[in-house]
Amino acid sequence: MRKANLTAVSCAILAMGAVALAADSHKSATFTIASGGVINIENPNGSVTLHSANGRQLSVNSTAYSDKIEVDSSATPDGKRVEVLTHALPDQKPTGEELKADYDISVPSGVSVVVTTTTASITVDSVSGDLSLSSDTGQITVRDADNAQLHIRSVTGPVSLVNLNRLHAEIMSTGGNVQLVRVSGPKVKVSSTSGNIGYQGDFAGGGAYSLVTHSGAINVLLAETASVDLSAHSVHGSVENDFPLSEKRHQVYVPTQGRSLVGTAHSGSSSVELRSFNGKIRVKKQ
Amino acid sequence: MNCKQFQEVLPYIIETGGNPEEEEHLRSCQACSDLVNELQYIAEQAKLLLPMHDPHPRVWSNVEQSLQREGLIREGRTPRLGHLAVITEAAPRRAWTPLGLGMATAAVLALAMVLVNFPARQPGVLQGSKGVSAAVQQPATQFEGEDKALLGEISQHRPEVSSAYQDSLGQINSYIADAQKAVDADPADANAHALLMDAYDQKAMLYEMGTVRSLD
Amino acid sequence: MTQAKKIIATGLSEAEAIERAKGGDAEAFEGLYGLHKRRVYSLCLRMTGNTAEAEDLTQEAFLQLYRKIATFRGESAFSTWLHRLAVNVVLMHLRKKGLPEVSLDEALEPQHEDGPKKDIGARDNVLAGSIDRVNLGRAIESLPPGYRIIFVLHDIEGYEHNEIAEMMGCSIGNSKSQLHKARMKLRDLLKLSRAEKAARH
Repeated sequence: MRKANLTAVSCAILAMGAVALAADSHKSATFTIASGGVINIENPNGSVTLHSANGRQLSVNSTAYSDKIEVDSSATPDGKRVEVLTHALPDQKPTGEELKADYDISVPSGVSVVVTTTTASITVDSVSGDLSLSSDTGQITVRDADNAQLHIRSVTGPVSLVNLNRLHAEIMSTGGNVQLVRVSGPKVKVSSTSGNIGYQGDFAGGGAYSLVTHSGAINVLLAETASVDLSAHSVHGSVENDFPLSEKRHQVYVPTQGRSLVGTAHSGSSSVELRSFNGKIRVKKQ
Repeated sequence: MNCKQFQEVLPYIIETGGNPEEEEHLRSCQACSDLVNELQYIAEQAKLLLPMHDPHPRVWSNVEQSLQREGLIREGRTPRLGHLAVITEAAPRRAWTPLGLGMATAAVLALAMVLVNFPARQPGVLQGSKGVSAAVQQPATQFEGEDKALLGEISQHRPEVSSAYQDSLGQINSYIADAQKAVDADPADANAHALLMDAYDQKAMLYEMGTVRSLD
Repeated sequence: MTQAKKIIATGLSEAEAIERAKGGDAEAFEGLYGLHKRRVYSLCLRMTGNTAEAEDLTQEAFLQLYRKIATFRGESAFSTWLHRLAVNVVLMHLRKKGLPEVSLDEALEPQHEDGPKKDIGARDNVLAGSIDRVNLGRAIESLPPGYRIIFVLHDIEGYEHNEIAEMMGCSIGNSKSQLHKARMKLRDLLKLSRAEKAARH
């Protein structure tokens, strides 16, 4: 009897292991994608990680965590477009965790990337070019890129941009906090409703920077070398500054003490606009 | 490099120039050279196409009437209800389909244009205005009409993010209401106007994100 | 001050008209409309290919202009600002219609991937130097909507690919690819038109 029980238990353990292995489905695919091509990625739940690839080979490694879903990747015959998406298998209605899949994708240079998730996080490392990233609640992180065109949309997921140069970016987040560290470029625009916006760096490059929020706070930690033409205005919130600014000779409006601030530092190369409705705006010296 | 390879990269190099191999092919291949010349010629000729057409005079009449109704020009006002009925007609509604949600974005922005410059001063006139009064009077507190439909679609297709959308929509409606009040208080306040436009951009983004995924 | 900048009926300069329009001056509004209506309407007509839609969109563009005019601070040329506003009005309208603004689906237009593929290495009858602008205008009208929009924005209205990408929510690569396809299609249409004309004579 004891031996039979042991056998039964062993079989049960093996069966569970088999089920676990069957539920985790790994796939790999490689595509040669044309310069200027597009990769379109849709993964509701889990994670999407992108990093740079050598050559023109785009490689997709995915893990699906339930047997109700499948990750499909395909390319058009001309190699200009690759699609990777998680979808439900026929007659299956996966929900929540059953939709989870992780993607790890190597992206060649010069390829445009479009990523759409629901709760899946999006992480992009050292990928330049056109990036369009959209998630309802997943965290979005973009690091170490040069000369990127970046469009980010988030409902409540946090957004983090680190070490990005020559950036052309538009970031919209309703409730997620947006953090920018050492980010510079000809145009950087961040808009939030209730999310806080943090900037740490020097607003370099003679660009136009705009940070706008309704009720979130705007916190700017400004490097001493920053050359900015700065204006900050809050309708009902306060504006605090301890960064040395020179008064502007010609102003569009007369700043109201404690509610708005206008000034320049060094040669005022970059235009920086900080606006809030009732969030606090703080500018501090780094 | 052969012609097929050259023509594959042509869209991306025609304006900026190619690498030495591509330039060499262009120099040596008459067919590809002719192709490039023709495409560039088409582009050059297009630049010379002048604006040729004037709109029918009724276009200005309609603009003028709308401006008068909104009180943007100093020739009297018509009741707000009538004007808003025109605005909602301008954003037509079809039978409810997921794609119809996308049109809600346009309707939201159209309503924004009204609210920027025409403050609610006659509550009596608004009573009974179907589908409009709630959006006008209580953008921050209740979900009505298009907002309610959007949240319904999201809760059906993506229930895991339904509360995120609901919270966000409430916050954005508050944003719109606050910015509107600031504009009402000082119509010349450019900052308030900019915030109001930003608020509507946020709402448009939310609708677009909510609608696209509802098509899954 | 150039003639173009004078609003003849009122004798106002454009800058003066803008300031007066901010204060609700009806004459100033009309003057600005007169100055810019042709360009806005032509843009709307080229992008939609439909007169009724173009009229509605022109109306909407000017209404939005006047509602927002208080926010115009002169940082760019007024015409640039208005033009951009008109483009956004058209694109919003096209999104509402559910048209594919930038068709990424190769299957929709497989024949455009062929183009000179069939004739690779051979010379076609050369087109350059022979385009009648009336025919070009007609050919543009007959482009599929997605191609037409990109072509109008880039080659006629002069927007750069990064601006188009931003407006349309697509990538720069897509914008370049679609523009190329539009030009290839126009090339085919214009050659066909020329061949038909030659056959009749």
